[in-house]
Amino acid sequence: MSSMSNPPAGDDPEWVAPVVQYDSPAKRQETTAWVGMVIFLASWGMMFGALFFMYGGIRARATEWPPQGLPAIPLFWPTINTIVIALSSVTLQWALISIRKGDKKKLTVGLVSTFLLGLAFVALQWKVWVDLNEIGLMHTSGFYGSVFYGMTWIHAAHVAFGIIALGWLCIQALRHFYSAPRHLSIRLWTMYWHFVGIVWGIMFLTVYIL
Amino acid sequence: MDLQPIHAPPTSFAKKYLFTIDHKVIAKQFIWGGFLFLVLGGGLAMLIRWQWAFPHEPVPVVGDMFLGATQGRIGPATYNSIFTNHGLIMIFWAITPLLIGAFGNFCIPLMIGARDMAFPLLNMLSFWIWALSGVMVLASFVVPLGAAGAGWTTYPPLSTNVGMPGAGQSLMVGAIFVTGVSTIMGGLNYVVTVIRYRAPGMTWMRMPLTVWGLWLTSILNVLFVPVLGSAGLLLLLDRMTGTQFFIAGSTGMGANAGDPILFQHLFWIFGHPEVYILILPAWGMVCDFVAFFARKPAYWYKGSVYAMTAVSVLSAVVYGHHMFTTGISPLLGTSFMLFTLIISVPAEMLFLNWLHTMWKGSIRLTSPMSYTLGVIWVFGLGGLTGLHLGTTSTDLYLHDTMWVVGHFHLTMASASFLVVFAGIAFWFPKMFGRMLPEKFGHFHCWSTVSLLTLVFVGQIISGYAGHHRRLFDPYQYTFLEHLLPLNRWVSYFAFALAAIQGAYAVVFIRSVFAGKKAEQNPWEVGTLEWTECTSPPAVHNFDTIPVIVRGPHEYANPEVRKVLGRDWISQTEPLGDSEQASGGAAAAGG
Amino acid sequence: MKFKHFSNKLTSVLVWIWTMAITGVAWADVPKEEGWGMPTDASLDGHRVDWLINITNVFITILFVIMVIWIVWAVLAHNEKHTADYDHGDSKHHVMVALSISAFIFLVVDGNLFYNAAKDLTQAFWNFEKAEAAANHVKIEVQGRQWIWEARYEGPDGKFNTQDDAVTTNDIRVPVNAPIIIQVTSPDVIHAISFPNFRVKVDAVPGSVNQLWLQATQTGQFEISCGQHCGQAHYKMAGRLTVMEEADFKEWVAQKSRDSKQIYDENAQAANWGWTWRKY
Ligand code: HEA
Ligand code: HEA
Ligand code: CUA
Ligand SMILES: [Cu+2]
Repeated sequence: MSSMSNPPAGDDPEWVAPVVQYDSPAKRQETTAWVGMVIFLASWGMMFGALFFMYGGIRARATEWPPQGLPAIPLFWPTINTIVIALSSVTLQWALISIRKGDKKKLTVGLVSTFLLGLAFVALQWKVWVDLNEIGLMHTSGFYGSVFYGMTWIHAAHVAFGIIALGWLCIQALRHFYSAPRHLSIRLWTMYWHFVGIVWGIMFLTVYIL
Repeated sequence: MDLQPIHAPPTSFAKKYLFTIDHKVIAKQFIWGGFLFLVLGGGLAMLIRWQWAFPHEPVPVVGDMFLGATQGRIGPATYNSIFTNHGLIMIFWAITPLLIGAFGNFCIPLMIGARDMAFPLLNMLSFWIWALSGVMVLASFVVPLGAAGAGWTTYPPLSTNVGMPGAGQSLMVGAIFVTGVSTIMGGLNYVVTVIRYRAPGMTWMRMPLTVWGLWLTSILNVLFVPVLGSAGLLLLLDRMTGTQFFIAGSTGMGANAGDPILFQHLFWIFGHPEVYILILPAWGMVCDFVAFFARKPAYWYKGSVYAMTAVSVLSAVVYGHHMFTTGISPLLGTSFMLFTLIISVPAEMLFLNWLHTMWKGSIRLTSPMSYTLGVIWVFGLGGLTGLHLGTTSTDLYLHDTMWVVGHFHLTMASASFLVVFAGIAFWFPKMFGRMLPEKFGHFHCWSTVSLLTLVFVGQIISGYAGHHRRLFDPYQYTFLEHLLPLNRWVSYFAFALAAIQGAYAVVFIRSVFAGKKAEQNPWEVGTLEWTECTSPPAVHNFDTIPVIVRGPHEYANPEVRKVLGRDWISQTEPLGDSEQASGGAAAAGG
Repeated sequence: MKFKHFSNKLTSVLVWIWTMAITGVAWADVPKEEGWGMPTDASLDGHRVDWLINITNVFITILFVIMVIWIVWAVLAHNEKHTADYDHGDSKHHVMVALSISAFIFLVVDGNLFYNAAKDLTQAFWNFEKAEAAANHVKIEVQGRQWIWEARYEGPDGKFNTQDDAVTTNDIRVPVNAPIIIQVTSPDVIHAISFPNFRVKVDAVPGSVNQLWLQATQTGQFEISCGQHCGQAHYKMAGRLTVMEEADFKEWVAQKSRDSKQIYDENAQAANWGWTWRKY
């Protein structure tokens, strides 16, 4: 495959441009991984979508919410938590932008702060659970309790998974593994982290506020 | 510059056959694994049929082995576990791995001109995670309180601790979740591979329709299996931690009560696409095989693509037809009916395309072609009997009868099942480098087709008479008593069916190791795996990535006949000036 | 590679002959006088379902036969001795033909199904207004639980869940020629109350109340079956539906109501499972 991209001779109707654009192999692999991540997130979006669908199904019918005799979910700490996770997305995005420019130091700072903010999120989430337990809302307290705990558990598990990955990225960054041309995993995990943040946003709106 | 890396051929046994990243070997792993569970699922089906033919009588042979505690008889709880596991095993551990795991892996890279999957490691993991889920299924048979028994649909509250306190049910729900993870991994791989790894010139409208079918299936898998995952996860939480998503609890809980119907919504949002997941690869293969063996271009190729795409899209909005009797509102009931009826239009278009492709062809009745005709036959019966079910008023009578069971065995257990044999008959030479015996293929094909028809049309007839499904002893109802002779005959046919599959197993295994050596292109077709690869292909498939200049079904072209003296031309052979130019241009990008 | 078509075809034909022979034996073996068709239709509206199923059976048989003839013809006439047409079938003309045939099948077969189903549902199966409007209609509350059918009639006070309710087990009796409205629920798992002779069924779902209505046109005894897998004894969750003359029915309910009143116990929660009749 030697001759370089000549446009097709004339207006040959048979000719259709090759769909895959042939960049350098590394670049191609990166795009492939990116496509994979997009599809993975679409898939996982359906998973969370199903949870929201279920929640919506009950809420659409409910005449009162929270159901009689059950406490409303306090909003103070969850609001703080929303800010925390939003901030963590910002720091991670900043880290990504920095490494695109080749700034390894800012990358490390950004990664470590995201990692810490992630931990803070889980810690605060833990506090919310404990507090709610104390005012008598358990995961066994009917659908209301189930849906609150079930959804936050599943979400928190995804955050925890992300934190583990971030920890690994931090270590690698400290070892100067990443550079402007080589930071695919940062890019992919940033997508994941934003995704988890967006899911949180939707959850905060629907499960906490509404 | 080459387009894709060439992995060094593995040397150790483990790397070559167990933890392999070679899509062709993974395909074979899925074949063996799938066949293993097919035998298990088939065995369970035989137990169902035994019970309905000779209720309460001890089962010969296996009865003594597995049902010693009840003197070889099947009890009601055991019966429930039998059909539950039969359904689940057949769908998730037999047909899915065979149809999607094996053919998806084998065909996609070879047919689009790729050296491997986009993510080979993920591919390997996908098989082993599937294997793990299989072990969980097997384990669920030996845990205390018995295997899962809430039906393959696993409706709560029956599937919660209220109805199924045993660990078997939890293990099964867990296994469904785990196999779902494997399916998503595989699906992700297929989707990305087709998007990114097509060889130069392999445009979307030049892909073999098999690849189209598998690709659409994978998209549905990636999007809808997670919904099942959610449902399963919540069900597991209900079972293990005491949450109440699907348990209505005591009356008077008002807004705080869980809702068992929610599970049905989630299950069928997945479940209906799932049935098309299991038929789309079949449709794709039938489209291709009909053209290959009628020696004629696939009729209205694009129409087939549009039809399959339309079905995939519509499959998301018809799921309510499984829930007509749950008390859904008239508006929803009518909408779901309308969409269900509409979804039959693309199916009709596909049938018409197949029929037109065969018409005025030059049909070679090889064994893959025989199987293909068999698939059309059984799927015609199965699809057409779905119409009565999609209609809300008639489903009030037919829901939960053997009509439904007959319908889905004709579509899924016959069409999707038989297409596996079609695919194996067709690609066996490429997979194993050997031939399956043709004559046995015809015998197996036609006896299987006729027996499948007898067994499952028999189910339709009993369903028409009102025979409910999932009945341990149907004859407890006096209005079903007279169906015993019918059921008994259906059982005889089912036993014959199993015997013939036994013969197939022997021939299959013998041919893998001692079949006649295959040529590179025994069927004289023009797709890449036949024209560009040896039988079996090298580890890296293609020495150089091929450049594609035309669609997959260029048969009976008079010009080809004039120039090359044959009725077919490969997807890569240039013919005449214009194509040379276009081929060259397409290649130039690389 | 040369294909041995003759012997292939011979194999196929032999298999089919053999199959047909066995089918014949099987057919002869099954007692036809007891009928293979649907159970007796004892209802006012069941004939709508029967007609729609049967006419659709005719349609699909025609389609299937056309399809089979087409295939067999092609395989025989356009075999490998025939030179294949070079035809991609994607000309405008071809596409229009394919679309027209599909549209025609859709309009006739599916259109007929949709039109009649919509009509039958609004006129009959979902037309609860009509049922309620009839002066002689009867309301029944049913609770399906593992593995019996409990029924409850409102009794003289015209209210459900009071002490004069007539309560029965696996024994539902109704007057002939009167609309019967049945509301169902379940305390444990999902069941479905199914009346094969009336062509209707509806699920009994924990936490919600579903309803159906039917009208008998002849007296006699019929079976009630359970249409959803509900555990071990699902297979024998049978109830009896007795259709009686109106006068007999009135007498029976009154008697039942008196009986039930005698054993009424305010504290027996499980026995007082009724609910205030739902309005939809
Ligand atoms: C491979 C799997 C598969 C496929 C492809 C289908 C295809 C279809 N299914 Fe089926 N179905 C199942 C598997 C499948 N189904 C399963 C597993 C269940 C039960 C699950 C359970 O409850 O356990 C089920 C249950 C099910 C129900 C629920 C019934 C009930 O529980 O009461 C309904 C209702 O609408 C339905 C409808 C349809 C329809 C309308 C199609 C249509 O897509 C069919 C379209 C095809 C045609 C209409 C035929 C094509 C046309 C011709 C042959 C004519 C050609 C002739 C000429 C051109 C001359 N199916
Ligand atoms: C694709 C899925 C699939 C397949 C293939 C089958 C195949 C068969 N099924 Fe099954 N069935 C289901 C899916 C399937 N089924 C589902 C989902 C249910 C519903 C469960 C529920 O209600 O919850 C069901 C329920 C069901 C019932 C109803 C039970 C009830 O309602 O109480 C019956 C009754 O007759 C039945 C019978 C059969 C028979 C006789 C076969 C025969 O076709 C089987 C013949 C096959 C074999 C005997 C195996 C042969 C082995 C090989 C070919 C391997 C060769 C090996 C090598 C080469 C190494 N099935
Ligand atoms: Cu109750 Cu089945
Ligand atoms: Cu469906």
